[in-house]
Amino acid sequence: MAGLKAMLCMCEGVTLEDVDRAIEEGFADVESIKRRLRIGMGTCQGRYCVPILIAYLSRKLGVPPEKLAPPLVRPPLEMAPAYIFTGGDHEG
Amino acid sequence: MRAEVVVVGGGITGVSAAYFLAREGARSIIVYEKNYIGSGSTFKCAGGIRASFTSQEHIVLMKRSIELWGELARELGVKYLRSGYLWLASRERDLERLKSYSAIHNSFGVPTRVVGPDFLSKVAPYVDSSRLAGALFDPLAGKACPFDATQKLYSVSRRMGVDYRFEEVTGLLAEGGSVRGVRTRTGDVHAEHVVVAAGVWSKPLLEKAGVDLPLAPEPHHAVITEEFGRLFDPLIIDVETGAYAVQTFEGHVLMGVEVPEEHLWEPTPRLDFLEKVVRVWSRWLPWLPRANLIRYWVGHYEVTPDHHPVLGPVSGVEGLYVATGFSGHGFMMGPVVGEELASWVLKGHSRTREARNLTVDRFREGRLIKELAVIG
Repeated sequence: MAGLKAMLCMCEGVTLEDVDRAIEEGFADVESIKRRLRIGMGTCQGRYCVPILIAYLSRKLGVPPEKLAPPLVRPPLEMAPAYIFTGGDHEG
Repeated sequence: MRAEVVVVGGGITGVSAAYFLAREGARSIIVYEKNYIGSGSTFKCAGGIRASFTSQEHIVLMKRSIELWGELARELGVKYLRSGYLWLASRERDLERLKSYSAIHNSFGVPTRVVGPDFLSKVAPYVDSSRLAGALFDPLAGKACPFDATQKLYSVSRRMGVDYRFEEVTGLLAEGGSVRGVRTRTGDVHAEHVVVAAGVWSKPLLEKAGVDLPLAPEPHHAVITEEFGRLFDPLIIDVETGAYAVQTFEGHVLMGVEVPEEHLWEPTPRLDFLEKVVRVWSRWLPWLPRANLIRYWVGHYEVTPDHHPVLGPVSGVEGLYVATGFSGHGFMMGPVVGEELASWVLKGHSRTREARNLTVDRFREGRLIKELAVIG
């Protein structure tokens, strides 16, 4: 079964094994693991992967999930084309 | 509990100080970080690295920092590229200004040069050169990934024995003109040396110890697009507005521009920043209007009156050192500042005369550093 991996973040291609390695490197909070592995920094902005990461870290570290704060949500809530911020005067 | 050195702050300055202190043989080092590694100003920065300043202090220190960035890339695998800086001018008078800066850079051995559209098409194929009057290229400059660099220095120094504690330092212990350690909510920790590298938050901490730092929290905004293939290698600057854009190691375009701001400890997002940054960069990047923006955030510059850092020992409090006030250049200076602090703490003196010129005493003695020309 070589090569079979449990994918946690589809946008950035991050596996559970990557998370295990980040924990060994000394990262044990969601914000740090997000930046170490780029989980939640792709186009879904963490909608799908961050809840899975929190559930996995909770079991792995023996910390209740409510103690693992999800990363700060940055605007815009959904990615948006740049021209809408200039008043929509983009031609074409 | 007793340590040889306590470092307050787990941003680039703190982890770099810890790394160089461990490398130079400090026996026991504790780093305090109140949130997570890089969580202050470091992880909000663009990651640009250059020596093309116009003060001797900035140039000498940054030339050394660039050597160290190269070492960190080779030895620790830090994501760092010497991909240059490119200042874009669309008006003749801006180009003339760039030429005068270049003469200063060259006199200090920083090999910047004026380039035209042919050069632009090679290093920045997706930057539109139709408005270009000319550009200044700095081949010694480059970029590093703030997350990767800071986290690698953390992991490596931790393996070297540095003790990282995720707790807030609430006060400094000082007595009879000497520092004795730091106070946290879980108790006091004694130390021979204390290095305050807490970015803009160094000011309230040092105030409690009677040390006045002329430091102001200046909000700066940044936004990042979705990922693209290769668009432009150097960090680019629009000379007219000072706006910058850099393509990250993953291919996102990270952009910033100044908007008028008050000094604020807790800045908030502003729609007028997005409007301005998109408007400015659309003039050079005609494809930008249809690119997706995915994240927007605000961070701080910790600004001093002469836009140079406050570095080194604090006179009157033996064993106390500061490293802050980088005024927007803290990430790029991280390695050289770590090396200078290690020298100060372990050998009792700085490595260079230029670093010694940057102690907090200069404000009291009126010896402010002059940047000959302020550029982005």
